[in-house]
Amino acid sequence: MDGLISFFASHHAMRAEAVLKSSGWAVRLIPGPKDLSPNCGVALRFEYAQRENVLAALVAKNVRIDGVHCYRPRSDDWSVRR
Amino acid sequence: MIYFDNAATSWPKPPAVCAALSDYFGDAGGNPGRAGHRMSVAAARIVENAREAVAELFHANDSSRIVFTQNATHALNLALYGLLRPGDHVVTTSIEHNSVMRPLRHLETLGVELTVVACGVDGMVDLDRLHHALRSDTRLLVTTHGSNVAGTLMPVAALASFAHEQRILYLVDASQTAGAIPIDVQHLDLDLMAFTGHKGLLGPTGTGGLYIREGVALSPLIRGGTGSDSAHETQPEFLPDAYESGTLNVAGIAGLAAGVNFLSEIGIDAVKTHEQKLVAQFLAGASEIPGITLYGPRDGALRCGVVSFNVNGVTPSEVGLILDESFGICARTGLHCAPAAHRTLGTFPMGTVRFSFGWFNSPAEIDVALAALRQIGVWARSELATH
Repeated sequence: MDGLISFFASHHAMRAEAVLKSSGWAVRLIPGPKDLSPNCGVALRFEYAQRENVLAALVAKNVRIDGVHCYRPRSDDWSVRR
Repeated sequence: MIYFDNAATSWPKPPAVCAALSDYFGDAGGNPGRAGHRMSVAAARIVENAREAVAELFHANDSSRIVFTQNATHALNLALYGLLRPGDHVVTTSIEHNSVMRPLRHLETLGVELTVVACGVDGMVDLDRLHHALRSDTRLLVTTHGSNVAGTLMPVAALASFAHEQRILYLVDASQTAGAIPIDVQHLDLDLMAFTGHKGLLGPTGTGGLYIREGVALSPLIRGGTGSDSAHETQPEFLPDAYESGTLNVAGIAGLAAGVNFLSEIGIDAVKTHEQKLVAQFLAGASEIPGITLYGPRDGALRCGVVSFNVNGVTPSEVGLILDESFGICARTGLHCAPAAHRTLGTFPMGTVRFSFGWFNSPAEIDVALAALRQIGVWARSELATH
Protein backbone atom coordinates (compact mmCIF):
# COMPACT_ATOMS: atom_id res chain seq x y z
CA MET A 1 0.00 0.00 0.00
CA ASP A 2 1.56 3.26 -1.15
CA GLY A 3 -0.96 5.81 0.08
CA LEU A 4 -1.51 7.31 3.51
CA ILE A 5 -4.33 9.39 4.99
CA SER A 6 -3.57 11.48 8.03
CA PHE A 7 -6.26 12.71 10.44
CA PHE A 8 -6.75 15.42 13.03
CA ALA A 9 -8.35 13.06 15.52
CA SER A 10 -8.40 9.35 16.17
CA HIS A 11 -12.22 9.55 16.07
CA HIS A 12 -11.99 10.16 12.32
CA ALA A 13 -9.16 7.64 11.79
CA MET A 14 -11.27 4.90 13.37
CA ARG A 15 -14.35 5.88 11.40
CA ALA A 16 -12.33 5.96 8.16
CA GLU A 17 -11.04 2.46 8.82
CA ALA A 18 -14.57 1.18 9.51
CA VAL A 19 -16.09 2.91 6.46
CA LEU A 20 -13.40 1.71 4.03
CA LYS A 21 -13.16 -1.82 5.40
CA SER A 22 -16.92 -2.24 5.13
CA SER A 23 -16.66 -1.21 1.46
CA GLY A 24 -14.04 -3.90 0.88
CA TRP A 25 -10.94 -1.73 0.52
CA ALA A 26 -7.60 -2.92 1.90
CA VAL A 27 -6.55 -0.43 4.58
CA ARG A 28 -4.31 -0.56 7.63
CA LEU A 29 -3.87 1.72 10.63
CA ILE A 30 -0.26 2.60 11.45
CA PRO A 31 1.40 5.05 13.81
CA GLY A 32 1.12 8.50 12.19
CA PRO A 33 4.48 9.41 10.56
CA LYS A 34 5.54 12.65 12.22
CA ASP A 35 7.43 13.73 9.08
CA LEU A 36 4.07 13.95 7.27
CA SER A 37 1.75 15.28 9.94
CA PRO A 38 2.17 16.06 13.61
CA ASN A 39 -1.55 15.82 14.18
CA CYS A 40 -2.65 12.30 14.81
CA GLY A 41 -1.56 9.20 16.65
CA VAL A 42 -2.69 6.94 13.83
CA ALA A 43 -2.85 7.20 10.06
CA LEU A 44 -4.45 4.91 7.49
CA ARG A 45 -2.52 3.17 4.71
CA PHE A 46 -4.36 2.52 1.45
CA GLU A 47 -3.77 2.10 -2.29
CA TYR A 48 -2.95 5.55 -3.61
CA ALA A 49 -4.41 4.72 -7.02
CA GLN A 50 -7.82 4.37 -5.30
CA ARG A 51 -7.67 7.82 -3.76
CA GLU A 52 -10.62 9.37 -5.61
CA ASN A 53 -13.02 6.57 -4.69
CA VAL A 54 -11.67 6.35 -1.17
CA LEU A 55 -12.00 10.08 -0.53
CA ALA A 56 -15.51 10.13 -1.97
CA ALA A 57 -16.52 7.33 0.42
CA LEU A 58 -15.10 9.27 3.37
CA VAL A 59 -16.82 12.52 2.37
CA ALA A 60 -20.11 10.65 2.04
CA LYS A 61 -19.79 9.48 5.65
CA ASN A 62 -18.68 12.87 7.05
CA VAL A 63 -15.21 11.58 7.92
CA ARG A 64 -12.78 14.49 8.11
CA ILE A 65 -9.16 14.04 7.08
CA ASP A 66 -5.97 16.04 7.52
CA GLY A 67 -4.21 15.09 4.28
CA VAL A 68 -3.61 12.46 1.60
CA HIS A 69 -0.04 11.43 0.92
CA CYS A 70 1.81 9.18 -1.47
CA TYR A 71 3.82 7.44 1.18
CA ARG A 72 5.49 4.13 1.88
CA PRO A 73 7.12 3.82 5.30
CA ARG A 74 10.81 2.87 5.16
CA SER A 75 9.97 0.10 7.60
CA ASP A 76 8.41 -1.81 4.66
CA ASP A 77 11.99 -2.71 3.69
CA TRP A 78 12.67 -4.14 7.14
CA SER A 79 11.39 -7.64 6.46
CA VAL A 80 12.88 -7.69 2.95
CA ARG A 81 16.37 -6.78 4.19
CA ARG A 82 16.26 -9.39 6.93
CA MET B 1 -33.69 -8.86 47.20
CA ILE B 2 -35.71 -6.43 45.11
CA TYR B 3 -33.83 -3.53 43.55
CA PHE B 4 -35.98 -0.45 43.03
CA ASP B 5 -33.25 2.20 42.82
CA ASN B 6 -32.57 2.25 39.09
CA ALA B 7 -32.88 6.05 39.01
CA ALA B 8 -29.72 6.20 41.15
CA THR B 9 -27.93 3.52 39.13
CA SER B 10 -29.34 0.55 37.29
CA TRP B 11 -28.89 -2.97 38.58
CA PRO B 12 -28.25 -5.60 37.43
CA LYS B 13 -26.24 -4.87 34.30
CA PRO B 14 -26.49 -7.23 31.30
CA PRO B 15 -23.76 -9.93 31.47
CA ALA B 16 -22.25 -8.49 28.25
CA VAL B 17 -21.39 -5.30 30.17
CA CYS B 18 -19.23 -7.18 32.64
CA ALA B 19 -17.68 -9.19 29.79
CA ALA B 20 -16.80 -5.99 27.90
CA LEU B 21 -14.86 -4.64 30.89
CA SER B 22 -13.04 -7.92 31.24
CA ASP B 23 -12.21 -7.95 27.51
CA TYR B 24 -10.79 -4.44 27.73
CA PHE B 25 -8.48 -5.30 30.61
CA GLY B 26 -7.54 -8.62 29.03
CA ASP B 27 -7.11 -7.82 25.37
CA ALA B 28 -7.21 -4.14 24.56
CA GLY B 29 -5.81 -2.25 27.51
CA GLY B 30 -4.08 0.56 25.59
CA ASN B 31 -4.67 4.29 25.59
CA PRO B 32 -6.97 5.30 22.70
CA GLY B 33 -5.68 7.81 20.18
CA ARG B 34 -2.29 8.13 21.84
CA ALA B 35 -0.23 5.73 19.71
CA GLY B 36 -0.43 3.57 16.62
CA HIS B 37 0.34 0.22 18.20
CA ARG B 38 -2.26 -2.53 18.29
CA MET B 39 -3.29 -2.07 21.92
CA SER B 40 -3.89 1.65 21.44
CA VAL B 41 -5.78 1.07 18.21
CA ALA B 42 -7.92 -1.62 19.87
CA ALA B 43 -8.83 0.81 22.65
CA ALA B 44 -9.62 3.55 20.13
CA ARG B 45 -11.89 1.13 18.27
CA ILE B 46 -13.78 0.44 21.50
CA VAL B 47 -14.33 4.15 22.10
CA GLU B 48 -15.38 4.92 18.53
CA ASN B 49 -17.69 1.90 18.29
CA ALA B 50 -19.33 3.06 21.52
CA ARG B 51 -19.70 6.57 20.13
CA GLU B 52 -21.38 5.17 17.00
CA ALA B 53 -23.72 3.02 19.10
CA VAL B 54 -24.75 5.97 21.28
CA ALA B 55 -25.21 8.25 18.24
CA GLU B 56 -27.42 5.64 16.60
CA LEU B 57 -29.50 5.17 19.75
CA PHE B 58 -30.23 8.92 19.92
CA HIS B 59 -30.51 9.32 16.13
CA ALA B 60 -27.60 11.78 15.92
CA ASN B 61 -26.41 11.66 12.32
CA ASP B 62 -22.78 12.54 13.13
CA SER B 63 -21.18 10.57 15.96
CA SER B 64 -18.46 13.20 16.46
CA ARG B 65 -21.21 15.33 18.05
CA ILE B 66 -21.39 12.83 20.96
CA VAL B 67 -18.77 13.77 23.55
CA PHE B 68 -17.98 11.35 26.38
CA THR B 69 -17.95 12.68 29.95
CA GLN B 70 -17.72 11.16 33.43
CA ASN B 71 -21.47 11.36 33.98
CA ALA B 72 -24.50 13.55 33.29
CA THR B 73 -23.43 16.13 35.89
CA HIS B 74 -20.13 16.60 34.04
CA ALA B 75 -22.00 16.91 30.73
CA LEU B 76 -24.45 19.47 32.19
CA ASN B 77 -21.57 21.50 33.64
CA LEU B 78 -19.82 21.43 30.26
CA ALA B 79 -22.96 22.72 28.54
CA LEU B 80 -23.85 25.37 31.15
CA TYR B 81 -20.35 26.76 31.82
CA GLY B 82 -19.44 26.36 28.15
CA LEU B 83 -22.34 28.48 26.98
CA LEU B 84 -23.43 31.00 29.61
CA ARG B 85 -21.63 34.31 30.18
CA PRO B 86 -22.35 37.20 32.58
CA GLY B 87 -25.34 39.14 31.30
CA ASP B 88 -26.94 36.08 29.66
CA HIS B 89 -30.46 35.07 30.67
CA VAL B 90 -31.27 31.39 31.29
CA VAL B 91 -34.63 29.75 32.02
CA THR B 92 -35.21 26.48 33.87
CA THR B 93 -37.97 24.78 35.88
CA SER B 94 -38.60 24.13 39.55
CA ILE B 95 -38.26 20.34 39.31
CA GLU B 96 -34.61 20.25 38.27
CA HIS B 97 -31.94 18.13 39.92
CA ASN B 98 -29.04 19.85 41.66
CA SER B 99 -26.83 18.85 38.73
CA VAL B 100 -28.63 21.67 36.90
CA MET B 101 -29.57 23.91 39.83
CA ARG B 102 -26.16 24.14 41.51
CA PRO B 103 -24.24 25.19 38.36
CA LEU B 104 -27.02 27.69 37.58
CA ARG B 105 -27.04 29.14 41.11
CA HIS B 106 -23.25 29.50 40.88
CA LEU B 107 -23.48 31.10 37.43
CA GLU B 108 -26.03 33.50 38.94
CA THR B 109 -23.33 34.77 41.33
CA LEU B 110 -21.14 35.39 38.27
CA GLY B 111 -23.75 37.63 36.66
CA VAL B 112 -25.96 35.21 34.71
CA GLU B 113 -29.66 36.04 35.13
CA LEU B 114 -31.77 33.01 36.09
CA THR B 115 -35.54 32.49 35.85
CA VAL B 116 -36.97 29.36 37.49
CA VAL B 117 -40.45 28.58 36.16
CA ALA B 118 -42.68 26.99 38.84
CA CYS B 119 -44.18 23.61 37.97
CA GLY B 120 -47.47 22.24 39.30
CA VAL B 121 -47.65 19.98 42.38
CA ASP B 122 -47.48 16.96 40.07
CA GLY B 123 -44.28 18.32 38.53
CA MET B 124 -46.00 19.25 35.25
CA VAL B 125 -44.72 22.44 33.66
CA ASP B 126 -47.22 25.17 32.81
CA LEU B 127 -46.49 25.72 29.12
CA ASP B 128 -47.94 29.25 29.08
CA ARG B 129 -45.89 30.29 32.07
CA LEU B 130 -42.74 28.84 30.55
CA HIS B 131 -43.44 30.43 27.18
CA HIS B 132 -43.77 33.83 28.86
CA ALA B 133 -40.50 33.39 30.76
CA LEU B 134 -38.56 33.17 27.49
CA ARG B 135 -37.30 36.60 26.40
CA SER B 136 -35.60 37.98 23.34
CA ASP B 137 -32.33 38.11 25.29
CA THR B 138 -32.65 34.56 26.72
CA ARG B 139 -29.62 32.50 25.76
CA LEU B 140 -30.66 29.07 27.01
CA LEU B 141 -33.61 26.99 28.20
CA VAL B 142 -32.62 23.96 30.27
CA THR B 143 -35.03 21.32 31.56
CA THR B 144 -35.03 17.73 32.63
CA HIS B 145 -36.63 15.17 30.32
CA GLY B 146 -37.97 13.10 33.23
CA SER B 147 -38.09 14.13 36.90
CA ASN B 148 -35.91 12.01 39.18
CA VAL B 149 -38.40 12.60 42.03
CA ALA B 150 -41.91 12.52 40.58
CA GLY B 151 -41.18 10.74 37.31
CA THR B 152 -42.93 13.54 35.41
CA LEU B 153 -42.02 13.68 31.72
CA MET B 154 -41.40 17.10 30.20
CA PRO B 155 -43.00 17.91 26.83
CA VAL B 156 -39.52 18.41 25.31
CA ALA B 157 -40.70 18.69 21.69
CA ALA B 158 -43.02 21.59 22.60
CA LEU B 159 -40.31 23.25 24.69
CA ALA B 160 -37.82 22.94 21.82
CA SER B 161 -40.22 24.72 19.47
CA PHE B 162 -40.86 27.49 22.04
CA ALA B 163 -37.11 28.00 22.43
CA HIS B 164 -36.38 27.97 18.73
CA GLU B 165 -39.17 30.46 17.94
CA GLN B 166 -36.95 32.97 19.74
CA ARG B 167 -33.60 31.51 18.65
CA ILE B 168 -32.93 30.26 22.19
CA LEU B 169 -30.82 27.13 22.65
CA TYR B 170 -32.40 24.17 24.45
CA LEU B 171 -30.45 21.83 26.75
CA VAL B 172 -32.16 18.64 27.97
CA ASP B 173 -31.07 16.63 31.00
CA ALA B 174 -31.87 13.05 29.96
CA SER B 175 -30.41 11.41 33.08
CA GLN B 176 -33.62 9.53 33.83
CA THR B 177 -34.78 8.86 30.29
CA ALA B 178 -31.78 7.90 28.14
CA GLY B 179 -32.25 4.19 27.47
CA ALA B 180 -35.74 4.15 28.98
CA ILE B 181 -37.73 6.53 26.75
CA PRO B 182 -37.06 6.79 22.99
CA ILE B 183 -35.05 9.93 22.17
CA ASP B 184 -34.50 11.23 18.65
CA VAL B 185 -32.39 14.39 18.96
CA GLN B 186 -33.13 15.40 15.37
CA HIS B 187 -36.88 14.82 15.52
CA LEU B 188 -37.11 16.52 18.95
CA ASP B 189 -34.89 19.32 17.56
CA LEU B 190 -32.57 19.41 20.61
CA ASP B 191 -29.46 21.58 20.71
CA LEU B 192 -27.75 19.91 23.65
CA MET B 193 -28.58 16.74 25.57
CA ALA B 194 -26.77 15.42 28.62
CA PHE B 195 -26.98 11.71 29.43
CA THR B 196 -25.51 9.32 31.94
CA GLY B 197 -24.22 5.86 31.09
CA HIS B 198 -24.96 4.00 34.32
CA LYS B 199 -28.73 4.35 34.61
CA GLY B 200 -31.06 3.53 31.72
CA LEU B 201 -28.17 2.83 29.36
CA LEU B 202 -27.13 -0.04 31.68
CA GLY B 203 -23.40 0.78 31.57
CA PRO B 204 -20.88 1.24 34.39
CA THR B 205 -20.64 4.30 36.63
CA GLY B 206 -18.18 6.95 35.45
CA THR B 207 -19.68 7.12 31.95
CA GLY B 208 -21.93 9.64 30.28
CA GLY B 209 -21.90 12.23 27.58
CA LEU B 210 -23.23 15.30 25.86
CA TYR B 211 -24.85 15.56 22.44
CA ILE B 212 -23.91 18.89 20.85
CA ARG B 213 -25.81 19.94 17.74
CA GLU B 214 -23.64 21.07 14.83
CA GLY B 215 -23.13 24.84 15.01
CA VAL B 216 -23.41 25.05 18.82
CA ALA B 217 -20.06 26.27 20.17
CA LEU B 218 -19.09 25.63 23.79
CA SER B 219 -16.02 26.70 25.68
CA PRO B 220 -14.34 23.53 27.06
CA LEU B 221 -14.64 22.83 30.79
CA ILE B 222 -11.09 21.43 30.93
CA ARG B 223 -8.16 21.57 28.51
CA GLY B 224 -5.25 19.22 27.99
CA GLY B 225 -3.90 16.31 26.02
CA THR B 226 -6.13 14.74 23.40
CA GLY B 227 -3.62 12.72 21.38
CA SER B 228 -4.39 14.98 18.43
CA ASP B 229 -3.01 18.28 17.15
CA SER B 230 -0.07 17.62 19.46
CA ALA B 231 2.25 20.19 17.89
CA HIS B 232 0.06 22.97 19.29
CA GLU B 233 -0.15 24.21 22.84
CA THR B 234 -3.70 25.44 22.32
CA GLN B 235 -6.81 23.31 22.64
CA PRO B 236 -8.12 21.76 19.38
CA GLU B 237 -11.50 23.12 18.31
CA PHE B 238 -12.81 20.05 16.48
CA LEU B 239 -15.12 17.49 18.07
CA PRO B 240 -14.99 15.25 19.95
CA ASP B 241 -11.41 16.12 20.97
CA ALA B 242 -12.17 19.71 22.01
CA TYR B 243 -14.14 18.39 25.01
CA GLU B 244 -12.33 15.12 25.75
CA SER B 245 -9.00 16.15 27.28
CA GLY B 246 -7.25 13.51 29.35
CA THR B 247 -7.51 9.75 29.02
CA LEU B 248 -11.09 8.58 28.72
CA ASN B 249 -12.70 5.91 30.91
CA VAL B 250 -12.16 3.28 28.19
CA ALA B 251 -13.15 0.33 30.36
CA GLY B 252 -16.36 2.08 31.34
CA ILE B 253 -17.07 3.11 27.76
CA ALA B 254 -16.58 -0.51 26.63
CA GLY B 255 -19.25 -1.49 29.15
CA LEU B 256 -21.49 1.39 28.08
CA ALA B 257 -21.36 0.17 24.47
CA ALA B 258 -22.40 -3.30 25.64
CA GLY B 259 -25.33 -1.78 27.55
CA VAL B 260 -26.41 0.28 24.53
CA ASN B 261 -26.15 -2.73 22.22
CA PHE B 262 -28.27 -4.76 24.65
CA LEU B 263 -30.93 -2.00 24.57
CA SER B 264 -30.80 -1.68 20.78
CA GLU B 265 -31.70 -5.35 20.50
CA ILE B 266 -34.64 -5.01 22.89
CA GLY B 267 -35.75 -1.65 21.50
CA ILE B 268 -36.30 1.40 23.72
CA ASP B 269 -40.03 1.31 22.98
CA ALA B 270 -40.20 -2.08 24.71
CA VAL B 271 -38.31 -0.70 27.74
CA LYS B 272 -40.68 2.26 27.96
CA THR B 273 -43.75 0.02 27.71
CA HIS B 274 -42.37 -2.32 30.38
CA GLU B 275 -41.51 0.45 32.85
CA GLN B 276 -44.78 2.34 32.34
CA LYS B 277 -46.70 -0.90 32.91
CA LEU B 278 -44.87 -1.37 36.23
CA VAL B 279 -45.57 2.26 37.17
CA ALA B 280 -49.27 1.87 36.35
CA GLN B 281 -49.46 -1.35 38.38
CA PHE B 282 -47.78 0.32 41.33
CA LEU B 283 -49.93 3.48 41.18
CA ALA B 284 -53.16 1.45 40.93
CA GLY B 285 -52.20 -0.74 43.89
CA ALA B 286 -50.73 1.98 46.10
CA SER B 287 -53.66 4.37 45.60
CA GLU B 288 -55.87 1.79 47.36
CA ILE B 289 -53.66 1.54 50.44
CA PRO B 290 -54.92 3.83 53.24
CA GLY B 291 -52.38 6.38 54.45
CA ILE B 292 -50.22 6.38 51.34
CA THR B 293 -49.71 9.67 49.54
CA LEU B 294 -48.58 9.44 45.91
CA TYR B 295 -46.79 12.25 44.08
CA GLY B 296 -46.51 13.05 40.40
CA PRO B 297 -48.94 12.56 37.51
CA ARG B 298 -51.62 9.92 37.98
CA ASP B 299 -51.40 9.00 34.31
CA GLY B 300 -48.57 6.48 33.88
CA ALA B 301 -48.10 7.62 30.27
CA LEU B 302 -46.89 11.01 31.56
CA ARG B 303 -44.09 9.41 33.59
CA CYS B 304 -40.81 7.61 33.30
CA GLY B 305 -40.15 4.64 35.62
CA VAL B 306 -39.98 6.73 38.80
CA VAL B 307 -42.60 6.94 41.57
CA SER B 308 -42.50 8.85 44.86
CA PHE B 309 -44.73 8.37 47.89
CA ASN B 310 -45.01 8.79 51.63
CA VAL B 311 -46.68 6.78 54.37
CA ASN B 312 -48.63 9.00 56.77
CA GLY B 313 -47.09 9.19 60.22
CA VAL B 314 -43.77 7.62 59.21
CA THR B 315 -40.72 9.42 57.87
CA PRO B 316 -39.35 8.40 54.45
CA SER B 317 -36.12 7.16 56.04
CA GLU B 318 -38.07 4.93 58.44
CA VAL B 319 -40.06 3.46 55.56
CA GLY B 320 -36.82 2.91 53.64
CA LEU B 321 -35.22 1.14 56.58
CA ILE B 322 -38.21 -1.17 57.07
CA LEU B 323 -38.39 -1.93 53.33
CA ASP B 324 -34.71 -2.84 53.29
CA GLU B 325 -34.40 -4.74 56.56
CA SER B 326 -37.75 -6.54 56.67
CA PHE B 327 -38.62 -6.97 53.00
CA GLY B 328 -35.27 -6.78 51.16
CA ILE B 329 -36.52 -3.92 48.99
CA CYS B 330 -33.94 -1.28 47.99
CA ALA B 331 -35.56 2.16 47.75
CA ARG B 332 -34.12 5.63 47.96
CA THR B 333 -35.46 8.06 50.55
CA GLY B 334 -35.07 11.76 51.25
CA LEU B 335 -34.52 14.66 48.87
CA HIS B 336 -32.87 12.84 45.93
CA CYS B 337 -30.49 15.78 45.30
CA ALA B 338 -33.46 17.84 44.13
CA PRO B 339 -34.64 20.27 46.84
CA ALA B 340 -36.44 22.47 44.31
CA ALA B 341 -38.44 19.50 43.07
CA HIS B 342 -39.51 18.66 46.63
CA ARG B 343 -40.55 22.28 47.27
CA THR B 344 -42.66 21.95 44.11
CA LEU B 345 -44.29 18.72 45.29
CA GLY B 346 -44.75 20.06 48.85
CA THR B 347 -42.46 17.42 50.33
CA PHE B 348 -39.55 19.63 51.44
CA PRO B 349 -37.59 19.14 53.71
CA MET B 350 -38.60 15.57 54.63
CA GLY B 351 -38.62 14.22 51.11
CA THR B 352 -40.26 11.05 49.85
CA VAL B 353 -39.71 7.34 49.40
CA ARG B 354 -38.76 6.68 45.78
CA PHE B 355 -39.10 3.49 43.78
CA SER B 356 -37.47 3.54 40.35
CA PHE B 357 -38.05 0.61 38.05
CA GLY B 358 -35.92 -0.81 35.29
CA TRP B 359 -35.93 -3.40 32.54
CA PHE B 360 -35.05 -6.21 34.95
CA ASN B 361 -37.92 -5.55 37.38
CA SER B 362 -41.09 -7.65 37.18
CA PRO B 363 -44.81 -7.29 38.00
CA ALA B 364 -44.33 -9.93 40.72
CA GLU B 365 -41.83 -7.62 42.44
CA ILE B 366 -44.37 -4.78 42.37
CA ASP B 367 -46.89 -7.10 44.07
CA VAL B 368 -44.35 -7.92 46.80
CA ALA B 369 -43.70 -4.19 47.35
CA LEU B 370 -47.43 -3.39 47.49
CA ALA B 371 -47.95 -6.14 50.08
CA ALA B 372 -45.06 -4.69 52.12
CA LEU B 373 -46.58 -1.21 51.95
CA ARG B 374 -49.95 -2.56 53.12
CA GLN B 375 -48.23 -4.00 56.20
CA ILE B 376 -46.27 -0.81 56.83
CA GLY B 377 -49.51 1.18 56.41
CA VAL B 378 -51.28 -0.94 59.06
CA TRP B 379 -48.34 -0.49 61.43
CA ALA B 380 -48.22 3.27 60.77
CA ARG B 381 -51.91 3.66 61.57
CA SER B 382 -51.52 1.75 64.84
CA GLU B 383 -48.49 3.90 65.71
CA LEU B 384 -50.51 7.05 65.01
CA ALA B 385 -53.39 5.74 67.14
CA THR B 386 -51.23 4.93 70.15
CA HIS B 387 -48.98 8.02 70.17
